[in-house]
Amino acid sequence: MALISQIQGVGLGLKRELIPQIQSSYGDHEIANIQFLEIAPENWINAGGKYSAQLAWFAERYPLVCHGLCLSLGGPSPLNTDFIRQIKTFLKQYEISVYTEHLSYCTDGLHGEQGYLYDLLPIPFTEEAIYHVAGRIRQTQDILGQQIGIENTSAYVAAPISEMDELTFINAVISEADCLLHLDINNVYVNSVNFGFDPHTFLRRLPGERIVYSHMAGHDQQAPDFLVDTHGENIIDPVWTLLSDAYQLFGTFPTLLERDQNIPPLRILMQEINKIAEYQRRSSMTKQTNLSAVALD
Amino acid sequence: MSNQIPEFQRYQLAFTAHLRDPKQHPIQTGVPPERIAVYEEIVFNNLLQSVTACFPVASAVLGKRKWHKLVQCFMCYHSANSPFFRDIPKQFLHFLLTDAPALESENKTTALPPYLNALCHYEWIELYVSAHPAEAKAINASKAVDLAANVAIFNPTLQLLQYDYAVHKISARKKLVQPALTQLLVYRNSQYAVRFMEINAVTYELILLMQSNKLPGAKALQLLAGQLRHPEPQVIMEFGLAILDDLKAQEIIVGTEILQD
Repeated sequence: MALISQIQGVGLGLKRELIPQIQSSYGDHEIANIQFLEIAPENWINAGGKYSAQLAWFAERYPLVCHGLCLSLGGPSPLNTDFIRQIKTFLKQYEISVYTEHLSYCTDGLHGEQGYLYDLLPIPFTEEAIYHVAGRIRQTQDILGQQIGIENTSAYVAAPISEMDELTFINAVISEADCLLHLDINNVYVNSVNFGFDPHTFLRRLPGERIVYSHMAGHDQQAPDFLVDTHGENIIDPVWTLLSDAYQLFGTFPTLLERDQNIPPLRILMQEINKIAEYQRRSSMTKQTNLSAVALD
Repeated sequence: MSNQIPEFQRYQLAFTAHLRDPKQHPIQTGVPPERIAVYEEIVFNNLLQSVTACFPVASAVLGKRKWHKLVQCFMCYHSANSPFFRDIPKQFLHFLLTDAPALESENKTTALPPYLNALCHYEWIELYVSAHPAEAKAINASKAVDLAANVAIFNPTLQLLQYDYAVHKISARKKLVQPALTQLLVYRNSQYAVRFMEINAVTYELILLMQSNKLPGAKALQLLAGQLRHPEPQVIMEFGLAILDDLKAQEIIVGTEILQD
């Protein structure tokens, strides 16, 4: 099994549109900064034919991470344990060490049904919800036999019944579930605009030691105070500043570029990947300089 | 029942009820409509994209307005039980079979063409076969294959299909079709390409006989000639063996089992 420590540097979300380009550029210096790839298990489990051939090709050449979309950790439906067991088999088969999911829900089935809606819906931030979600994360970790990472999710609607802010909720869930944090830098920014908080303060109060890796992405601005997390645009400057801030606060961690819509050619995407690599290099240099300064003292 | 559900889950269920059917389930108080509209659009567009990509002909035949209405009904009335995106079109098929007839009779959806289920099944088969977990590799390919004397091994992705309509000929331009019993083969070749082939009723029966009874080609053809009460069984034999050779060339038959005796 690949170790979490093999996930390092910069990663890219493996979209079908990008597969032929990565395959034909494999080994080229131009894409050397792509050091790991992310897949959604919902797209690849039980997929045969050309899909399993493609997956085998990538699994031989890149460390893979799994980032799920449909586990519905915050949902009212029963936790889909059959699905978790399929994920477990899949992780083992492709030697994938990292599995993360969203702090959201996507089901509304009752009476044994699931009722998938295939989108990331917001969980109201209440005390009862903390224990509900944390219990389901623990159950997932028990079945998988490993910790999972939980991603802070972008949201557009604040539940009027919420009893606390997002930061308090996330920290309580992570602590209660004893899980890892999959830090989405863009989502911190999107929510800071949508709900009016300071993203830098938010970042500082997260448990940095639990970060497994992070996401960078672009979003769509629908109004000055309303952003939609489309993953279809370039990353904007305030989000780059947040990434730099996070590296300063917590040290560098693996960071992955998500691009799901309006996907440009790979050579264009490489500009953002190379920029992340440059931020990581600068951050670790600063850290080394600080260490040398300490040594000199 | 609903009183036993915690408040945050009641909120979540009201939220999704609104997303599934905004007209029937108004927005909860305190939630801005322009913001929840983003979720309404995302959930609907995800489903719409997923089913339209799988059913290009069915969606074109119905036209945009009717198709959207049907997908809205799918979102509203169907409880999808698979976390896999690839299964959304299959669940749509299930919805067409189980929920759509009642919705149609209650006028919640417009009248649907009688061949819609068959057409959608045929369109879905392409997705199903393309991702079928079996490997379609040639078996004992190096040896000369005698399909008359041996039991053929069929391509594991092969779908032997019979529809009441010529579903493969339906299009937006040709949507008024009469029933016509139609036999088709759909399979994936070793290059991962999904292939379609129209076959006649005799070939359909031959493949069915060979698959279900594990008979060598010659025995299956004798049986078939008997069933057809053909005056010259030799004609069926020659015709049939030529077909089997063709099926082999097309990778529909991938090899033969070695008989023990």
